[in-house]
Amino acid sequence: MSSSVFLSGAGIAALVLAGAVAVATANRDRQELATAEAAIGAVHAERDVLRAKVSELQETVQEHAALEERIRELEAALQDRDAASQTAEDAAEDSEDDPATVLAGIGDAENGKTLFRQCSGCHEIGAGAENGVGPHLNLLFGRKAASIDGYRYSDSLMRAATNGLEWHADTLSDYIADPRTFASGTRMSYAGMKDDADRRDLLAFLRIYSDNPADIPEADPTAVGTDHSVDPEILAIAGDAEYGEYLSSECTTCHQASGSDDGIPSIVLWPEEDFVTAMHAYKEKVRPNPVMQLIAGRLSNEEIAALAAYFKDLEE
Amino acid sequence: MKLNRRSFVGAIAASTLAAPMVRAGGHGTPRVVVVGGGAGGATAARYIAKDSKGAIDVTLIEPTRTYYTCFFSNLYLGGFKQMDDLGHSYGNLASAYGINVVHDWAVGVDRDAKTVTLAGGGTVPYDKLILSPGIDFVDGSVPGWDLSSQNAMPHAYKAGSQTELLKAQLMAMPEGGVYAMVAPPNPYRCPPGPYERVSMVAHYLKQNNPTAKILIADPKPKFSKQGLFEEGWEKHYGGMIERIGPDFGGENTSVDPAAMTVDIDGDVNKVDVCNVIPAMKAGRIAEIAGVTDGNWAPVNAVDMSTKADPDVYVLGDASQQGDMPKSGFSANSQAKVCANAVRGALTDSRVFPAKFSNTCWSLIDTNDGVKVGATYEATDEKIAKVDGFVSQTGESAELRKATYEESEGWYSGITADMFG
Repeated sequence: MSSSVFLSGAGIAALVLAGAVAVATANRDRQELATAEAAIGAVHAERDVLRAKVSELQETVQEHAALEERIRELEAALQDRDAASQTAEDAAEDSEDDPATVLAGIGDAENGKTLFRQCSGCHEIGAGAENGVGPHLNLLFGRKAASIDGYRYSDSLMRAATNGLEWHADTLSDYIADPRTFASGTRMSYAGMKDDADRRDLLAFLRIYSDNPADIPEADPTAVGTDHSVDPEILAIAGDAEYGEYLSSECTTCHQASGSDDGIPSIVLWPEEDFVTAMHAYKEKVRPNPVMQLIAGRLSNEEIAALAAYFKDLEE
Repeated sequence: MKLNRRSFVGAIAASTLAAPMVRAGGHGTPRVVVVGGGAGGATAARYIAKDSKGAIDVTLIEPTRTYYTCFFSNLYLGGFKQMDDLGHSYGNLASAYGINVVHDWAVGVDRDAKTVTLAGGGTVPYDKLILSPGIDFVDGSVPGWDLSSQNAMPHAYKAGSQTELLKAQLMAMPEGGVYAMVAPPNPYRCPPGPYERVSMVAHYLKQNNPTAKILIADPKPKFSKQGLFEEGWEKHYGGMIERIGPDFGGENTSVDPAAMTVDIDGDVNKVDVCNVIPAMKAGRIAEIAGVTDGNWAPVNAVDMSTKADPDVYVLGDASQQGDMPKSGFSANSQAKVCANAVRGALTDSRVFPAKFSNTCWSLIDTNDGVKVGATYEATDEKIAKVDGFVSQTGESAELRKATYEESEGWYSGITADMFG
């Protein structure tokens, strides 16, 4: 019993002492808090000043960028003029530099593998590839630019992506040819691969690590079709009916030569003019069916005329 | 030895329609032998016979008398087509086009003597040989399964009795049972095929056995029209379909046909139907002919001739040509390019530039059709994709119905194009 009385006395003493200490601590804390708040206020003021400066600087930078852009435009215009005058002089075939022919096919992946050594310091590709100095390059074809999570892209590429840049054979070729012309602020410090054949080979190698159209038919194309310009006198072209007969075999996978039309319309015995007009409407994507847009899209004016000439008299 | 085209044409002109020659190899009417009467072979035989108007003697070797199309066979599983709708006879190719149709198996090819040996014992000589044998399966690709298990666990990836067996097993499933599919690795016939099949099986089960489940073990991280199928499955068959991809061990799958179990990465599932679609390779005759390299036969894009032999051509699924998917449409498209080239090589007919195209339609549910398609061109290296399109998620019901009707029109069109 007596020990418990002693303990409770000591307990009371301890409580009193603790109370005094608590009051003192609270006072000191309040003082420190006031000091800290004053310091924070000062920091905030300083921050506001810095922010103002930053936005001022950003404006200057933007002005500079706009000026640089203008300079580039002027330089490009100058180059175009020079090029135009040169082309006029040697109008002979310079198809090597014609963008339509640059990617007419895909190159040699073996040579592309060797060329990739120029890239492998920064970019990984293949099983287990990860982002390094540059982003990994798996599934590159058909990908939206600047879209790999966890990689910090330059503002330039991010802007281009916002504007709809996607990586296809043509855009990749342009980018690799001259990265800084393509995206001025890119952090890819690579001078560019100027040789068209080399770029085709490199792309053929990179293509191996993207979806293959054979396995996933909606995967990105590997070839670029011929560009057809619309001839104002297309209706006057006399069609080669024998060529039309060969070409018609692509049509008769769906359209029946007998003229039957369940689900898919008949295309036989049409007046040539109607046939040609309809095909050009698909070619120019005025008519909506995507299968027909594709098929008509790569037929030349002569080929459309040839089909019209063949189908106008077809009777089975 | 090169054939003298002019002398052939002269001979034809002089003798008008000569009786079929008994032998080839430099004399008489040039002979084309086609092995396999599907979308590639039937089309090639028909176009060569039709366009050469008797100047080329065409023999088609095909073991079955009635050909059941693999395309649209999923619609039979779903109840949208009858088996008879898918069957086609070769009678018209023989009677209307003069093709010599031989119902037998081609079991040997002597490329030096230029002959094909038949299981029935005869040999058929050729100047140009076109192989369109479709697919066979890679032994051991799904541990526990081999061809002797195909009655317990059907592949149904060659249409006919296998398709009917799978339908019968589907109809016999107990209430709330499990339908399993072991999906194939790339590359394989008809990229959207397994997933259209799942859609059709789900359609059947929703009507007849709504508490049943579908389990897919898949070695591939991604598949064709994935977004469209997954949207459709959620919309029409919510909760019925589970797919286990390689991120959860889907590539590590084995089966036990006796116990009717599927082991997915150590997780053993007792199932009621198991549709095993193994890894694929070129139909066996391509390998026998010695024109394959690995599982497939590499070909030149410009005319479908094999890299191994300029007088042997391979069409369709068995070929390794580049970007075109293995489909009936592709085989039909390749057959026409090949027919034009073969005719040009044997007679003096005009040879036109190669153009290829493909469209694959898939049905997800009643009047909910989707499609993917592309155009292709011949480059030095391969058949390369030029441009393409795919149906979009969230399309109107009206457009999806029109797409399905278009696919029915295509079916009538391509079968008329194959069989005349």
